[in-house]
Amino acid sequence: MLMDDNTIAQIARPGTSLKLPGTGQGAPSAGVRPTTQGGRPLSGFARPGTQGRPGTMEQALRTPRTAHTARPVTSASGRFVRLGTASMLSNPDGPFINLPRLNFTKYAQRQTLAKALFEYIFHHENDVRNALELASLATEACQFKDWWWKVQLGKCYYRLGLYREAEQQFKSALKHQDMVDIYLYLCKVYTRIDQPLTAVEIYKQALEKFPGETAVLTGIARIYEGLNDLPNATKFYKEVLHYDNTHVEAIACIATNYFYSDQPEIALKFYRRLLQMGVYNTELFNNLGLCCFYAQQYDMTLNCFERSLNLSTDDSASSDCWYNIGHVALGIGDMNLAYQSFRLAITFNNDHAEAYNNLGVLELRKGHMEQARAFFQSAQMLAPHTYEPFYNFAALSDQVGDLQSSFNNAKKSVTNYAEHCDSQELFKQLRKHFSIL
Amino acid sequence: MPDNKGTFREVLPKQGMLYQEDIPTTVLCKPKLMALKSVTLEKLEKMQKNAQETVKQQELMQQMDQGSLMGPPQSGLPEF
Repeated sequence: MLMDDNTIAQIARPGTSLKLPGTGQGAPSAGVRPTTQGGRPLSGFARPGTQGRPGTMEQALRTPRTAHTARPVTSASGRFVRLGTASMLSNPDGPFINLPRLNFTKYAQRQTLAKALFEYIFHHENDVRNALELASLATEACQFKDWWWKVQLGKCYYRLGLYREAEQQFKSALKHQDMVDIYLYLCKVYTRIDQPLTAVEIYKQALEKFPGETAVLTGIARIYEGLNDLPNATKFYKEVLHYDNTHVEAIACIATNYFYSDQPEIALKFYRRLLQMGVYNTELFNNLGLCCFYAQQYDMTLNCFERSLNLSTDDSASSDCWYNIGHVALGIGDMNLAYQSFRLAITFNNDHAEAYNNLGVLELRKGHMEQARAFFQSAQMLAPHTYEPFYNFAALSDQVGDLQSSFNNAKKSVTNYAEHCDSQELFKQLRKHFSIL
Repeated sequence: MPDNKGTFREVLPKQGMLYQEDIPTTVLCKPKLMALKSVTLEKLEKMQKNAQETVKQQELMQQMDQGSLMGPPQSGLPEF
């Protein structure tokens, strides 16, 4: 399309785009901290908007189908499918309000009713088109002077993917009324059109108007986390804690950061704080268990994992928990327990790539080449963004003399994680070998 | 250990070949901290679960209704 408003430069400069995560200066490397598919470090907190977002179409196609859904979770479907749950249910007496038969012009005149009606259509019925129609009629009816309708219009445009229009509405609403909400929505738009730095700027404007607003501070921290700028993210999360010392997200993210930067005992302190605050779920106990183990508090480790398993309600959580127990078993040298734990991790979640990789390593130690190879291959298929299975496969192939596949896999390993020394070494060696031929 | 000071000494060969072989080891995937879920997310998941269950029940009810309309199975039909 020529002269498209939404088109921006194809390749972003480093550090300015969420699609190309930054270099991660000062952050733990991918060798220590697991990454998501987009190459960003795993966050310590799951939010509705940020779960698994494959960046490109190609990535979305490559995304393995999980046990939960048949289709990969795309940015478009991930959140909004969830929100329409109420509209999925059919009522035996027909719908509460028959939308196609409503005369929107009439209701748009009655402001108080229109607002309630809009919220019903937008949130309960999940019918964005009709909601947009009502909102545009209503904003006309009040001579474009009501900021509330502008915000709702912006929300509708956002849901329809018309980001520039949404941006205009939010900006115009801000002229009437300074609200934290509007700033947050505006930044959401900027994040969506991949302009994180503009979003940070807007957040900072909001901070000037509303100093110490934790929602805004969290927003900045999230963006820095997305940009792989962890020192800055931690700085802002700490500032959040300065104003609100029970902020679960901030505590969790800081703890994760400490854990992966080799300070599990400090991470343990943060997680214990969460426990004190009354968070009581499988994830927290799993993390506590891991922190205890790596902070050498062995008496608590297995108790924590036991509790975590007891509290777990879905299979993927149990799977992750068993995977971590496998690590503890490896740490104490109990190979049988480790093997069985990783097996259980796979039983609970058939797509657990890391467990496949570790099983492959264990099989290789036992000298079962073929089985190890099969495990590495499954791990590669399920997690094409990791480097471990590729490197392991390359090393294995190199040992048995299959140099061609060793070369191919070493290459992929280097692409996925350029700083890995052993991969580089192997790759260099093989390239030299082939160039001599 | 002041007594043993003279008896044991470390030996560092100053001559001869020094061999160094780098044996590549396999890499394990790292332990994974689980992301804590936000309250909103938990609520959404709960809502979705409830809605799905209600839909399932509605479908079951419909099937039951259809089943009862067709009447009881006739005895004259051959059994498989």
